[in-house]
Amino acid sequence: MHLSLALAVSALLFGIGVYGLLARRNAITVLMAVELMLNAANLDLVAFDAWWRDKLHAGQTVALFVIVIAAAEVGVGLAIVLSVFRLRETVAIDELTELADRDPQLRAGADDQVAVNPVAEDAGAIR
Amino acid sequence: MTDYAWLVPALPAAAAVIGLLLWRVIAGGPAVPAIVGTAGSLVVAIAVLVDAERSPGTVHQSSVAWTPIDGLSLDIGTRIDGLAAVVAVMVAVVALLVQIYSTAYMAGDPRYATYTAEVSLFTAAMLLVVVASDLFELLIGWEVMGLCSYLLIGHYWQAQGARAAAVKAFVTTRIGDTGFLFGIFVVGIAAGSFEIGTVTHAAAAVPHTTVTVGALLLLAGVVGKSAQFPLHVWLPDAMAGPTPISALIHAATMVAAGIYVVARLYPVFQAAPDSLTVLGVIACITMLGAALAALAEDDLKRVLAWSTVSQLAYMAAGLAVGGWTAGVYHLLTHAAFKALLFLAAGSVLRSVGTNLMSEMGGLRHRLPVTFWTALVGAAALAGLPPFAGAFSKDGVLAAAREHGGGLGDTVYAVGLVTVVVTAAYVTRLVVRTFFGTYRGSAQVHESPLVMTAPLVLLATFSVLLGLPVLPHSYGVARWLDPPAATLPLHVGIGGVLLTGALSLVGIAAVALLHRRRPADDPVTVLGRAAQPLAHAFWIDEAYDHALVRPARALGRGILAADSYGVDPALTGTGTATTFLGGVLRRLQNGNVQAYASGLVGGVLVVVVAVSLAVVR
Amino acid sequence: MSATLPALLAVPAAGAAVLAFAPVGERVAKQLALFFSGATLVVAVVAAARFDYSSSSRFQDVVDASWLPGIDVRFHLGVDGVSLPLVLLTALLTFLCAAYTVGTVPEAGRARQLLALTLLLEVGMLGTFVALDLVLFFVFFEVVLIPMYFLIAVWGGAARSAAATKFILFTLFGSGLMLVAFLLLYAGSGTFDMAALTRGHGHGLGHGTQVLAFVLLLVGFGVKSPMWPLHTWLPDAHTEAPTIGSVLLAGVLLKMGTYGFVRIAVPDLPSGARDVAPALGVLAVIGIVYACFACFGLATSGAADLKRLIAFSSVGHMGFVLLGIATLTATGIQGALIGNIAHGVITGLLFFLVGGMKDRFHTSDFAGLGRGLLVKTPVLGALTLFAAIASLGLPGLAGFWGEMLAMLGSYRPDAALSRPLFVTLMAIAGVGTILTAVYFLAMLRRVVFGLVSDQWRDQPLRDVVATDAVAWVPLTVLAVAIGLWPSLVLGVSHAAVQGLLP
Repeated sequence: MHLSLALAVSALLFGIGVYGLLARRNAITVLMAVELMLNAANLDLVAFDAWWRDKLHAGQTVALFVIVIAAAEVGVGLAIVLSVFRLRETVAIDELTELADRDPQLRAGADDQVAVNPVAEDAGAIR
Repeated sequence: MTDYAWLVPALPAAAAVIGLLLWRVIAGGPAVPAIVGTAGSLVVAIAVLVDAERSPGTVHQSSVAWTPIDGLSLDIGTRIDGLAAVVAVMVAVVALLVQIYSTAYMAGDPRYATYTAEVSLFTAAMLLVVVASDLFELLIGWEVMGLCSYLLIGHYWQAQGARAAAVKAFVTTRIGDTGFLFGIFVVGIAAGSFEIGTVTHAAAAVPHTTVTVGALLLLAGVVGKSAQFPLHVWLPDAMAGPTPISALIHAATMVAAGIYVVARLYPVFQAAPDSLTVLGVIACITMLGAALAALAEDDLKRVLAWSTVSQLAYMAAGLAVGGWTAGVYHLLTHAAFKALLFLAAGSVLRSVGTNLMSEMGGLRHRLPVTFWTALVGAAALAGLPPFAGAFSKDGVLAAAREHGGGLGDTVYAVGLVTVVVTAAYVTRLVVRTFFGTYRGSAQVHESPLVMTAPLVLLATFSVLLGLPVLPHSYGVARWLDPPAATLPLHVGIGGVLLTGALSLVGIAAVALLHRRRPADDPVTVLGRAAQPLAHAFWIDEAYDHALVRPARALGRGILAADSYGVDPALTGTGTATTFLGGVLRRLQNGNVQAYASGLVGGVLVVVVAVSLAVVR
Repeated sequence: MSATLPALLAVPAAGAAVLAFAPVGERVAKQLALFFSGATLVVAVVAAARFDYSSSSRFQDVVDASWLPGIDVRFHLGVDGVSLPLVLLTALLTFLCAAYTVGTVPEAGRARQLLALTLLLEVGMLGTFVALDLVLFFVFFEVVLIPMYFLIAVWGGAARSAAATKFILFTLFGSGLMLVAFLLLYAGSGTFDMAALTRGHGHGLGHGTQVLAFVLLLVGFGVKSPMWPLHTWLPDAHTEAPTIGSVLLAGVLLKMGTYGFVRIAVPDLPSGARDVAPALGVLAVIGIVYACFACFGLATSGAADLKRLIAFSSVGHMGFVLLGIATLTATGIQGALIGNIAHGVITGLLFFLVGGMKDRFHTSDFAGLGRGLLVKTPVLGALTLFAAIASLGLPGLAGFWGEMLAMLGSYRPDAALSRPLFVTLMAIAGVGTILTAVYFLAMLRRVVFGLVSDQWRDQPLRDVVATDAVAWVPLTVLAVAIGLWPSLVLGVSHAAVQGLLP
C-alpha cells in the first residue's frame, strides 16, 4: 500500500490524540490520547521502514522501543491518576493545579482551601 | 654661599621634626631646637644676602630634577635674587624674635612642644616660598603655611571660637589657593615650564588672553592669602590664636606671602595689565574698608588685624601702579612695626588678661617699655616721619601719582584718605590702652626681658628702616633688584610732609576727642554710623547666608538623595527582577493542558520552520 | 621565565591553605600569618629590586605558560611600571594588616580563619595586578570577592549580612558585564593576551564594538572603582567590615577597578575610549562633588558613622582618579596612578585609625566617640589629624599629586576630546578640593578637637601600642615621602604610561 495512506491514517490518529490531550477533562482520557499519539508515531515509523526497505529495520526497532516506553508510561500515569483520585475524589485535569507557582501568600491560602473544602469543588467533577 | 640657600628652609624644618619627636630628651626643652634651627637659618640667610649683593642684578639658581610630568619636567631648588635674599632675612629675623618671645609668653602652656614645632615648620614653609625656584615647590610651601596657620590659630582648641576661626582661615585661603593652582597651570603650560625664571621670561610672549586669565587666577590665591577683599574675612577671626602667632603669621610673613608672590612673578602681571588694574581696585576697597572697620573694634588684636589688612592693601596698591620697590619696601617696614605692635599687644594682654580695650587704659606707667615701643610702632603705622612707615607709605603714594591715569589717581586719593583713618584708629588704640585711667582689675606688671628685648629690637628696626630719607642710595630698597619697567622708589620731601600732615590731622582729631571725654571710646562720636563699621559691613553674615547655610542644606539633601534616591535605584534592580519573576510566574498556572498546548504549539512552529528551510 | 611572580602568588596561597586546614591555636596562627605575609612582602621587594627601571614600559619577570589551549588562554604574568607600585602597596598593606591583627582581633574572634581568608584575598589582589591574560585577570578579579564577602559577613558589624550581600551582588553584576567585554575583545582581536592587545591598540575591533566594549567595561570597572552612581555598595560595605577588611577594601580593591581601566579599557579600545571618556569625566566629577556634600552632611549631622564618612571620601578621591583616566593623556593617567597609591596609603591609614578608635571606644559613631581625641589618646589623635590633612590633598603630602595631575590633565585633555568640557570639569574638581577640606576639617572639629565629654573623662584609654605603631607608622612615613618626592611612583610609571596611549 502506498506510503501516503499510512501517513494519512497516522496523521488522523495523531490529530485525534492531540484533541484528546488538550480538550478532554478526564485524566484517563488524556492518557488514552497520549497512547493514540504514540501509536500514530509507531505507524509512521513502520510505514517508513517498509518504504525505505531498511536492512537494519531501524523503524521497526524504534517502534518496539516506543511500545515499551508507552507501556511503562501508562503504568506510571495510571498509578498517579489513581493516587490523585484517592486524595481528591476527582480526575478532572483542570482542577488539579496545586503545582502552580503562586505568590507565597497565596500558596498558603490555596492549601487552606484544599484542606478545608475538597468536596465543594466536586460539582461537575467526573469520577 | 647661594648654593647652600636650601639650608634656609631646611634647618627650621629639621628643627620642627626633631623638636616634635625628641623634645622630651633634649636638655632645655622644645625651645632649644626651634631657636637653634631658626637662628641657623638666619645666619645662612644673611650669608646668602651678602653673597647675592656682591653681584647685584644676577639671579643665582640651583635646582635638581624632581619628578617627570608628561612633556614637562619639574625641578626643585632655590632661586636667589635680591628680593628673595632680603625677604628671607626679614622672615628669619621675625621668626627668631617670635620664638624667643614665646618662651616667656607661652610658658606653662601644656602643648608648648607642638607649638614650637609648628612655628618652626611654618618658618620652613615660608622660607620655602621665598627661595623656591619652581611654582609647585612654592605651592607646597604656600599650603604648608596654611596648614600651620590652621594648627596655630586653633592652638587653644578647647575654645569653640578658636576651632571655628581655624577652619574659617583654612577654608577661605583654600578657596583662593584653588584659583592659585589653576593660575599655575595656565602660566606654566603657556610658558612651557613651571620654573619661575622661565615663566617670568616667557610671560611677555604668551598670548594676551591666556596670560590675563593666568594672572587673574594667581591673584585669587594672593587675595586669599593676603586677606584682601573679598577673602579678608578670616584674618580678624584668626586673632583667636596666641599673640606671637598673630605677630609672625598674620602680620609679618604669611599674609605678606601673597604680596611677595606678585613681586616675584611681576613680569607675568606686567604682561597682563588688566590684572594689575583688578588688583588696584581690590586694594583700594580693602585699604579704606579695613581702616574704617578698625575704627570701631573694641578688641585690641582685631584692630591690629584690620590694620594689617589695610596695610597689605597699601602694598598691593603699590604693586598695582608699578611701584614695585615701594610695595616691597612697605612689606619690609610693615613687618617690623606690625610685628612690634602685635608683640607689644601680647605684652599688654598677658598682664591685663583681656583683649578688650574697654577694660584697659592708663597702662603707660605700669608697662613703660611696652608703652614706648608700642608708641614707636604706632607712629610708624600712622606714617609720621622719621619712622619707617612714613617713607614706605609715601613711596606707594608717589608711585601712584607718577603712574597717573584712572587707577593711579584713585589709589592716590584713597591712599591719602586712608592715611587719615589709619592715624585715627592707631591713636584710638594708643589712648584707649595706654592713656586715661585703668578700667580693669588685674595686677599689671611689665613683661620679662625675654619679651621686651624683641620689642626694643623691632622698634629699632622701625626707625632704622626709615633712615636715611633717600633710601635708593643707602637703604634696604637698593638691595631688592627690581624688574624692568617698574617705577623706582621716589621719596620726596613734599610727599612725606603731606603724609605726615594728614596723619597729624587724624591723630589730633582723636586726641582732642579723648581729651574732652577721657572715659569714652572716641568712635562713639560717629553715632549710628559706627554700626556698619563695627560689623565690618556685614560681609561675614552675607557669606554665612550665601555659602555656609546652603552648603549645609545641600549636605543633608545629598545624604537623603543617596539613601532614598540613588541606592534604591540600584537595589531596585533586585526589586524589578522579583517583579518580572512574578509576571512570568503567571505562566505556571498548574494546568497541565495549558503546558501541553504550549508544547504542541512550539513543536508546530519548529516543524513548519524546518520544512520551509528544507523546501527552500 | 623567572619564578618571582609565581612565588608571589604561591606564598600567600600556601599560607592560606596552611591556616585554613592546620588546627593551630590563635597565637601560632597570627605568627604564621605574619610570616607568610612578610614573606610575600619580601618577594615583592625582590621583584622591585630586580626590576629594570630604565625600561619600565616593558613587562618584566614574565611567566608565559600554556594553560587552557582549547580556549586560547595562557598563564601569562608580568610586571611593568604601572603594576609594580600597586604590587608593593598590596603586599605592604596585607603585611600591616597581619601585624595589626597580632594585637587586635575583631569581636567575632576566630583569628585563624580570618587570616586564612586575608591571605587568600591577597592572592587574588596580587594576581589581578600581575596577570597579563584577560581570563586569568578575570579569575583573580573574582577570587577576591568570596573572601571579602566572608570577611564582611562573619566579622563585620551589625548590618553585616545586608552589606556583604550588596557588595557581592553589585560587583558580580559588574564582573558579568566585564566578561562580556573581554569576549568582545577576543572576538575582535583573536587573543586574550593583554600585552598583545595593548600593542594592537584596538586593531581588529570596529568603532561600534569598541564603544560597546568600553561602555561594558565602564560599568564593570566602575562598580569597583567606585564610580557614581554605582557607588552605593561602598559606604555600607566599609562601615560594616572589620578594620582589616576596610583597609584592604579601600586600600587595594578599589584600585583593581581603576587599574582595569588603565591596563585594559583605555589602551585596548582607543576609539571607544575617545567617545565615552567625556561621560566618564562627567560621572567622575559628579562623584567628587556628590561625595563631598555627602561627607559634609555626615560630618555635621547628629547620628553618623565616621567609617561611613571615610568611605564616602573614597568615592570622592577615586573620582579624581577616574577624571585623570578620562582625560586620556599621559599626565592624567600618571595622576590616576599616583592617586591610587596615595589613596591606598592614606585611606588605609585612616581606616586603621578608625579601627583603633572602634577598638578603644567600642563604636565608630560620632556621638559615641565624643570630642577631644587629642586629650583622650594624644598620639592617636595626632595621627588622625595627620591622616585627615593628608587625605584632603595638602601639597607636600601624597594626596596632592594625584589630584593636581588629574586636574592638569583635564586642563589639556587628549586632542579628540572637547577642551571646554574638560576645563569645566577641572574647575568643578577644584571646587571639590575646597569642599574636601571643609568636610575633613568639620570632622576633625567634631572628633579630634574640643573638650572631652563626661563619659570618657575618667576612663583609662590605651594610646598607641607597639603593634599599632608597626601598622601605622610606615603608612605615615610613606605619605610624607611620596608627597615630597613623587618620583618614587611617577618615575617608575612614566615610561609605561607612554606606551599605554596610542
